[in-house]
Amino acid sequence: MVVNIDPRDARPLYLQIMDEVRRALVVGSLKPEDPVPSVRELASELVVNPRTVLQAYRELEREGVLYVRRGLGTFVALNTQPAGDERRELGLAVARRALLEARRNGLGLEELFTMIREVAADENDLAAEAPLTTGSNST
Amino acid sequence: MSNVLDRALDGAVSTYAVSTQGLTKRYGDEVALNAVDLRIPEGSVFVLLGANGAGKSTALKLLLNLERADSGVAEVFGLDTRRHGPRVRAQVGYVPERHDAGYRWMTCDRLLKHVAAYYPAWDQTYADRLIGALEIRRNRKIGGLSKGDTRRLQLLMALAHRPPLLVLDEPTDGLDPVVRKRVLTLLAEHLADSPTTVLITTHHIHEVENLADHVGILRAGRLVIQVPREELQRTVRRYRLDLPDQWEAPRDLVIPAPRSGRVREVQWTIVGDERAVTERLTTSGARVREVVSLPLEEAALAFLPDEGTR
Repeated sequence: MVVNIDPRDARPLYLQIMDEVRRALVVGSLKPEDPVPSVRELASELVVNPRTVLQAYRELEREGVLYVRRGLGTFVALNTQPAGDERRELGLAVARRALLEARRNGLGLEELFTMIREVAADENDLAAEAPLTTGSNST
Repeated sequence: MSNVLDRALDGAVSTYAVSTQGLTKRYGDEVALNAVDLRIPEGSVFVLLGANGAGKSTALKLLLNLERADSGVAEVFGLDTRRHGPRVRAQVGYVPERHDAGYRWMTCDRLLKHVAAYYPAWDQTYADRLIGALEIRRNRKIGGLSKGDTRRLQLLMALAHRPPLLVLDEPTDGLDPVVRKRVLTLLAEHLADSPTTVLITTHHIHEVENLADHVGILRAGRLVIQVPREELQRTVRRYRLDLPDQWEAPRDLVIPAPRSGRVREVQWTIVGDERAVTERLTTSGARVREVVSLPLEEAALAFLPDEGTR
């Protein structure tokens, strides 16, 4: 799991850490029963107050995403379903950022939709034109 | 380790590691510290900010009874620092403002032995680890150390007895960027391993931004605010506004600069409850386009005098 925190982001740090754990679950770099870094390790890596990491882990524990095995560390819960709520939470956050950026530039919602589709279509076209590096060994 | 932190999170933080009442210090006619009531909760990492000469270092020296207050009281763990100077200092790891470790004729190794003997809680295993991490050359003479070398030695001496209170005056001053980062990492690990309250002053707010949970701001000797970090960030917002041609600022709102000419779009950092500020701006005819919260450093700047415009 790679945890990134953004000093420019004004959200409380423990929320940022919680979101990073959720993101790791959604993209699959963290799976049920995996251990998460210890509070000390993560605090040291991110140079944050260990209490902040502990607070994030505590919240995730309360939500049933993580659980503590006494003396062994903290682990991802077995019944965590990354496909559901976590995915939705992440998606909403992405949407909020896009919308904020659009408003800042004076764009309306419909305009934003149109542009996103346009850009995505362009990227698809480019991908179709480019020689496929994986094509040669496909069946 | 986690038990230490668990207790810190669970225990209602009602005790103060440091508290002062009306602490005042004058140098001649100049008031360096003016009736300061500092409250540092046990277990917190408290960052004291302020411009040069705002009184930060003076405050720290008074806490350790290295200088005498003209009036007011300072307590560290409930001990009056004026009456119990040595007992207070025994519980504190102090990195002073000045890069001067004294004992210029001694080698680092000799000085460390001297210091270790003074603190019953000196942890030699930890000290050895820090000597490695901070790349301290034990056989060098103190008198021949560079500014950065002295800083590392001072940090080692402050941390290695795992004191309940760390008082760090510009701890990364004089260090190169690589060592700065390492020191902050060591500090994060130290906090995970030992129950510690930290009082830290710095000009590099961004460095300690993620370690701090409390912030105090000194302005010309006065403590203008001391709050949990989240509260500071809650009370400061940046507003992006469209202003009509004839616009007058609401009287009770402190805006950073008068509007110049016919500027229509402005971006201002304003202190106050977001809803109240937005309402006042809207009633005044301004259109609030966007409200964003700020990182700690920028939120703190709203309370510091802007030297360029004074």
